[in-house]
Amino acid sequence: MKRLQIPIEYKTLKNGLGVVTAPDPAAPVVTLGVYYKIGFRLEPQGRSGFAHLFEHMMFQGSENAAKMQHIKLINSSGGVLNGSTMYDVTNYYEAVPSNALERVLWLEADRMRALKVDDENLKNQRDVVKEEVRVNVMNQPYGGFPWLDMPPVAFRNWANSHNFYGDFADLDAASLADVQSFFRTYYLPNNAVLLLLGDVTPEDGFAMAEKYFGGIPAGAPPPFADPTEPPQKEERRGHVKEKFGTLPAMAIGYVMPARRTPDWFAMAMLDQALHGGRAGRIHRELVLEKQVAVEADGGIDDIFGYNGPTQMSTRILHKPEYSSEQTLAAFDVVLREVREKGIAADELEEIKVKWRSDYYSTLEGGRGGYMPRYGLMHLLACFTLFDKEPGLVNSILDGFLSVTREDIQRVADKYLKPENRAIVFRTPVSKTVKEAA
Amino acid sequence: MASVVTAEYSNMVPALAPERAVTWPKRTKTRLANGIEVVLAESHSIPKFHGELYFRAGNALVSGRAPGLAEMTATVVRTGTAKRTSRQIEEDLRRLGADLGSSAGQDTSAISFAGLSEFAEPILELVNELARDAAFPEAEFERERRQKLEEVKLERTSPGFLAGERLRKVLFGAHPYGIVSPSEAQVAAYRREDLLETYREIYTPENALLLVVGDFESAAMLKSIERIFGSGQGKKPTAKGSAAPPRPQGRRVYLVHNPGSVQTQILAGVHAITRKHPDWVRLGLTNSLYGGAFNSRLVMNIREDKGYTYSPRSGVSPLRQYGYFTVSAAVRNDVVAASLTEMFYELDKVRSLPVPAVELTDAQNYVAGIFSMGLATQDGLLSQLSTVELNELPADYLETYREKVRSVTSEEMLATARKYFDSANMQIVVVGERGQIEEQARLFGPTEVFDAQGNKLE
Repeated sequence: MKRLQIPIEYKTLKNGLGVVTAPDPAAPVVTLGVYYKIGFRLEPQGRSGFAHLFEHMMFQGSENAAKMQHIKLINSSGGVLNGSTMYDVTNYYEAVPSNALERVLWLEADRMRALKVDDENLKNQRDVVKEEVRVNVMNQPYGGFPWLDMPPVAFRNWANSHNFYGDFADLDAASLADVQSFFRTYYLPNNAVLLLLGDVTPEDGFAMAEKYFGGIPAGAPPPFADPTEPPQKEERRGHVKEKFGTLPAMAIGYVMPARRTPDWFAMAMLDQALHGGRAGRIHRELVLEKQVAVEADGGIDDIFGYNGPTQMSTRILHKPEYSSEQTLAAFDVVLREVREKGIAADELEEIKVKWRSDYYSTLEGGRGGYMPRYGLMHLLACFTLFDKEPGLVNSILDGFLSVTREDIQRVADKYLKPENRAIVFRTPVSKTVKEAA
Repeated sequence: MASVVTAEYSNMVPALAPERAVTWPKRTKTRLANGIEVVLAESHSIPKFHGELYFRAGNALVSGRAPGLAEMTATVVRTGTAKRTSRQIEEDLRRLGADLGSSAGQDTSAISFAGLSEFAEPILELVNELARDAAFPEAEFERERRQKLEEVKLERTSPGFLAGERLRKVLFGAHPYGIVSPSEAQVAAYRREDLLETYREIYTPENALLLVVGDFESAAMLKSIERIFGSGQGKKPTAKGSAAPPRPQGRRVYLVHNPGSVQTQILAGVHAITRKHPDWVRLGLTNSLYGGAFNSRLVMNIREDKGYTYSPRSGVSPLRQYGYFTVSAAVRNDVVAASLTEMFYELDKVRSLPVPAVELTDAQNYVAGIFSMGLATQDGLLSQLSTVELNELPADYLETYREKVRSVTSEEMLATARKYFDSANMQIVVVGERGQIEEQARLFGPTEVFDAQGNKLE
């Protein structure tokens, strides 16, 4: 077995900014990321959707780079860029020919130092974000299902249960003062990590990081709302109308154990037994064998990228001739079997091989076709911000590969019980279907 | 649109360092005795490999029998062989750390695969088995056909699908490219025998192209491939003539009424060129400047200046026989006319005025830069090689592409825009709530209205 080892170096600048390098000169391309430890889970109450709206504002102008100069300078250097808002982190990233590295560092440092935006920018991006929500959620069949539908049913703490894309009234209420205050509170070097991957040596990378970011002052450690959930004692259910789609749908989510615990590693392997594509038990049983469902898939969303309560969830679109309860019963048969019998030894071995293979692809993997090493960047950033240990990228695989059948049986019994789950039924308005009881 | 870095801080922006040369890996290219073309390239980023087994025919070839037949054939290909059941295939893939997909477009059918290098041989053996000995088990076919029935109903609820479907009908008419998906009745009428016949016709060695990229040694990989894929014979299918597509003249509007829409999907298009055409690089660059990049004029205008949309873009879709140019955006219902006006304004501007030198250089740097990103990942490189081989582009295409992009002049760009950004003959599709958008849509030309099922409405 050939194991992939990524050469990683990690330093912290005096202002608290983490810097991680992972050189690979094979192609003259650098992947650069800046991650801030703030996501939509911890955005201010009454400002749902704000963390994401704010992410858009980071492209609207900084001290020395006016609106559009950021995008323009990177595209015209032959590079691509984007940003995304997640539960616990927000990222800004670029892939550029390596001769543009200093330029990108200058731009990222400029917007870490000072944001320079006005009311017109805010109004513009508020409009853009509303169209983003419409194109991804409100005007699409099964839009936002289940990532936006599940949290209010599954969780009780506002941090975990609110609308992460934002209620339009909250987006409208967001002011320029909110933007600047959010920036001052969370967008600090001591709440961020810089990733330099690909065609840049650690020596050059650290020197340039110091040159461009070293002078940015640290700030007070940001306050974080506590995302802890009160213990769940009963199955939770919710109903959402499906405006466009033709098939009844449901999502079933089970709360996960805390990350990097033995139970968490075992749940990740169990998840593969259940959701591992066409070989996974749920797809096999519901789609291929019983043929109750048209789609049945799921998993632990972004397993390395969250730092608070989350679920393993299954998304099912089923045939209208089966009721929701019949479909759920078919799903429960699969879950009961793993709770009672665990999984087979050869099944576990197969899953481990597939996991290792998938993990390598995650590290190499791009985003949008032109973003090499997005996955490596993401994992290094999360392991640095959550654990101060980017080297986990090389060692964490062992935790998954040493899971035993007994571990699987234990976590199946412990976590896959009805009182640990929430179910959302998304029911088409246009068709007559048998409703869930 | 101001497009130069303004003077007061241009001296603060770090200059670009000297460029490092882009070196494309050596390709090993050969043809097996039975006709299969093989192209290999090494890429050692991770201990895996990625590949495609293409057959140079797809839905268009068999459209006379039924639309989407090659795609249905590809779907059922993975569900059983003479030696393995569907479940065995899926479990074997998992055991080998492999992913596999089988699919078909208008012009190709493909088995895509990726896996750990240590299991390269058994994975390739499975791929060959699917290509040679698929069994089309009756029960598997029946299940996939019923699945497909639900899928074709469901896709009619997606604004993007409805827009694309209508535009293709308008641009291609009775040509096979005019149909992007079968109807429910057509899926219901699929027979297992049709799939078998399609399989025998398309999946032949002489029609095959095998591309593999990844962490292996090329000579050894070639030996394995010769052993695994070398047996079997089979001719290329005979190409069939098809109706010439119409070339619609004059702007016309096609409104697809999608009740309940809270946004309007705009998609406008016109005939353009294929990848093989000598103007391809120039058109790609011109498109990038117009709406093919974040930094493009269209995005600056209707997103960053006016806030009409999140998702504006333009592109050239090259099918094998024909290509077409499109511009699209999902916009707020009350700015449908305003958005179309800006789309055409920017198109006509590229047709009317030479592009300033700085903006041309910026676009050239962008297109040349992102082209080499493909080097950094195995599947990125695979996709570049696929483009070259499927379109039978020159052997030095990857090596000379950037140079070609950088040699385009402002005059050539103007000529290219005049030739292909044929704004007077663009066909405009809008998908949305009729009551809110029809009046705006009618401003842009004679208008026909359809429902989501494709029926014409009064």
